[in-house]
Amino acid sequence: MPELDIALKVNGRAVKWRVEPGETLLEALHAHYLRGTKLICGTGDCCGCGAILDGNSINACCMLAAQADGRELLTIEGLTEDGKLHPIQEAFAEEGAAQCGFCTPGFIMRAYAFLREHPRPTEAEVRAALAGNICRCTGYVKPVAAVLRAAEMMRVDREEVSHE
Amino acid sequence: MLKIAAYHSPTTLAEAATLLAEEGRTVIAGGTDLLVNPRYMVGVREVVDIRRLELNFIVEEQGWLRIGAGATMRTVAQHARVQGLANGILARSAAVCGSPNIRNMATLAGNVASALPSADTPPALLALNAQVILVGIQGERLIPLDSFFVGPARSVREREIIRELRIPLASSDGLRGGFYKIGRTAEDISMVNAAATLKIKDGRIMAARLVLGAVAPIPLRVVQAEEALMGQPATEETFQRVSEIVRDEVRPISDQRASAAYRRSMSGIAATRALRQAAGLAPHGEEWRHA
Repeated sequence: MPELDIALKVNGRAVKWRVEPGETLLEALHAHYLRGTKLICGTGDCCGCGAILDGNSINACCMLAAQADGRELLTIEGLTEDGKLHPIQEAFAEEGAAQCGFCTPGFIMRAYAFLREHPRPTEAEVRAALAGNICRCTGYVKPVAAVLRAAEMMRVDREEVSHE
Repeated sequence: MLKIAAYHSPTTLAEAATLLAEEGRTVIAGGTDLLVNPRYMVGVREVVDIRRLELNFIVEEQGWLRIGAGATMRTVAQHARVQGLANGILARSAAVCGSPNIRNMATLAGNVASALPSADTPPALLALNAQVILVGIQGERLIPLDSFFVGPARSVREREIIRELRIPLASSDGLRGGFYKIGRTAEDISMVNAAATLKIKDGRIMAARLVLGAVAPIPLRVVQAEEALMGQPATEETFQRVSEIVRDEVRPISDQRASAAYRRSMSGIAATRALRQAAGLAPHGEEWRHA
């Protein structure tokens, strides 16, 4: 099978990957040791493989790696800065918003895309934003609380920056 | 890993049409149906990506609203002109198609190309009298969406690309619309959905289109119901009478989402609610509920 070379930016770093035509973006991530993005349903129904492509949250299981050529990808591994957790990650930990934790990266990446556009969301907006993310441990109350808390933490961060 | 032997990413429509002329090749855009539903990969060895053809436009031009094949569900749902057309039924149907992540990937044209009877946007597009522009090696052809669908996952599209969907704006002037989806949640595939457009003059219905989804092998225009609406007062009584016709005309199946009997019963409800919205009679709270 002929392989293709793609060039993209992953978590801020320019990379060149050799992929197969039938390889999904999720499979390519796993092959390159980025395994925080999870394979759960594999059919685009659960958003467990959520990542950010050119600023939009997407499911990495239902697009080809080849389609990511020339684009910019952010995965759960790229959220920490200098070893410091992103406020959304911190809020999920503080709220205990994970049971088995397998769906958590997908929730966090979806929340990341959502909060960039809605810095002051209502609870109803958060619920609508997370409606596609499925947790089979059935814990939705705490993820919603975590996203609301993260929104507040990020607002405080921004205000501190603007006062400096 | 999918069994795909080659990935093509042409930059011109002519190149894409030439590539597609060969057997065993299919179009990929968002990929959210193609890559996860094995029925679309039968006999497919190579894919032709149309994302580099610069088809992600939504423009108003010479009396048409043109929506390019690259426009995602989210772009359509958030576009001001689409939101303003017949009470925004197309924007609203795009906004309840799949999850937020899927709406960032899936395209409106892809929803039409997949040709599933349960799809959310075809009823709204049919109610808006949309047309499809297909491009193949033989050139381009314009097909009314009315004659596009043939059966589940089957359409008149041969080895062709949907370049764009077009909605006539002149006849959409003063057009009022309604859309209602019945699903377990808004993210789920519809059990039944309905889209309606009406033109009302002095309280009477002068033009009507009523389309039901997930109740027949194709998105179903209920022509008998449309005829029964013509010239009638735009009232609850009219809509109740028409909903009886809808219940008689639908041809639903039973599957894991709903029984045929439930779908038949709900088809009348969905039709009534879509018509009420179009007539401005929807009770408070009913307009936007989609579950």
